[in-house]
Amino acid sequence: MPTESIAMHPSLAVEVRDLRVSFDNTSVLRGVNLRVPQGQIVALIGPNGSGKTTLLRCLLGLQKFSEGEVKIFGERDVKKVLPRIGYVPQRLALERSFILSVREFLALRLRETRHWFFHSHKQLDALIRPALVQIGVEDLLDRPIAQLSGGQLQRVLIAFALLRKPDLLLLDEPTAGVDTPGEETFYDLIASVQRQHKLTVILVSHDLSMVYSHASRVYALNGVICCEGPPEQVMNAESLKQAYGIHATPYHHHHVH
Amino acid sequence: MFTEPFMQRALLAALFLGPLCAFMGVFVTARRMAFFSDTISHAALTGVALGFWFGLADPTWPMVAVSLLVAFGIMWLRENTDLLTDTIMALLLSASVAVGVIILSLLKEFRGELHSYLFGDILYIGPQEVWLAAALFGFVGTLLFLQLTSVTLLTAHEDMAQVCGVPVQRMNYLFVLVLTLVVALTIRLLGIILVTALIVIPPAAARAASRNLRQQIVLSLIFGVVGSVGGTLLSYQLDVPCGPTIVLTSVVLFIATLVIGRLRRT
Repeated sequence: MPTESIAMHPSLAVEVRDLRVSFDNTSVLRGVNLRVPQGQIVALIGPNGSGKTTLLRCLLGLQKFSEGEVKIFGERDVKKVLPRIGYVPQRLALERSFILSVREFLALRLRETRHWFFHSHKQLDALIRPALVQIGVEDLLDRPIAQLSGGQLQRVLIAFALLRKPDLLLLDEPTAGVDTPGEETFYDLIASVQRQHKLTVILVSHDLSMVYSHASRVYALNGVICCEGPPEQVMNAESLKQAYGIHATPYHHHHVH
Repeated sequence: MFTEPFMQRALLAALFLGPLCAFMGVFVTARRMAFFSDTISHAALTGVALGFWFGLADPTWPMVAVSLLVAFGIMWLRENTDLLTDTIMALLLSASVAVGVIILSLLKEFRGELHSYLFGDILYIGPQEVWLAAALFGFVGTLLFLQLTSVTLLTAHEDMAQVCGVPVQRMNYLFVLVLTLVVALTIRLLGIILVTALIVIPPAAARAASRNLRQQIVLSLIFGVVGSVGGTLLSYQLDVPCGPTIVLTSVVLFIATLVIGRLRRT
């Protein structure tokens, strides 16, 4: 591999160089290199255990790594750029007995509402509502967040992630637990938010058809980045075989008119 | 009864500790830490025994020290071994009770007083305990309100909290430190066996009657006061032990809110 110098590049949202992570002597990431330009939707695909979630957690500073380098917006210390990042975790397991309402949950994200306990509902709504219009969670504000359906929860989490107008949105299998029609609208929502706010979106997904129709760039991961490029190029038989092993079949894009 | 100094002290302690335990309890119950609280209160038995061993008149500090040791022991084992958290807690609970009982068996003359640590005794609440309760009430209450957003995020989801800039590990240790102090001090009022009731029951009662977290916190504070102060007054009137009366008053509140909640829904 040619040694490529990754200099500070202002138009890169994420730079990862030779990232290595292992758990109990099993290496999960074995030298991952990744450069994500700003203002695109990119997808990370790969089989179970290929390190997609681990890679995302490294970007967020949730996972320590033994070797390598991660820069977000050119900054090595993730803590400094956290306010610019929105994150939607994989299957947020909330304690069912925790009675936090959607309104209260969203208020936790904004500086203006950090003393939410002492604000009236009206005051809170005035501050959080502008961010909710396009997401369609306004009618959920009074509901306890732990009792939402999968699709509703994903919308609330997206609203939460977008409240502080991030420049980078990280989504970890955002549609796990959402049925297929719900899934479609979810990705449409992400795409329209991305277009409007010109943000960078990195999403981990198993759903190849969604990746095909919404991502501008795809990274196939299996311990290392096996291949990268536009979806039609990456998602052919050869590269999928490389990422998923011998059982993969090429993805055929069906046009339904 | 309000003219008797021991009752004044007991009522003041109940007034400070009841709502404080309930406030902490909202997050303790939501984080599934009720058994954790039980473990650190039982660990205090070894502290009591050590206090007697060293001939201290007031074993509060050894109680706090042993409870803290066990609390941080649980956290360390949880982070550094593959053992399940409730296994670790059951292990440390029984171990610390065993150590406490062995030490106490070697000090036969303190048997009578032991009862008051197991089930609480308002006669043992001195001016120092009241001051400590007031200080803890002011300090922890303020801290909780100031850090409410961080504690709530932490309770909802630790990773999300960290991504939102909450120093998760530091907050977890701070939470355990504060919980241990509150539990160790409340033992004087309710006893080692019953102290967890004041942390668990008012939030549980409030939970049944609330639709959001703010309501649950407000109702927990109210139920905490009603349970602890009401229970103390009742125990004087009926001439029965204070700790169990506080627990039963809180249980009655819990059943009432549960029934009312069910009726309102149907």
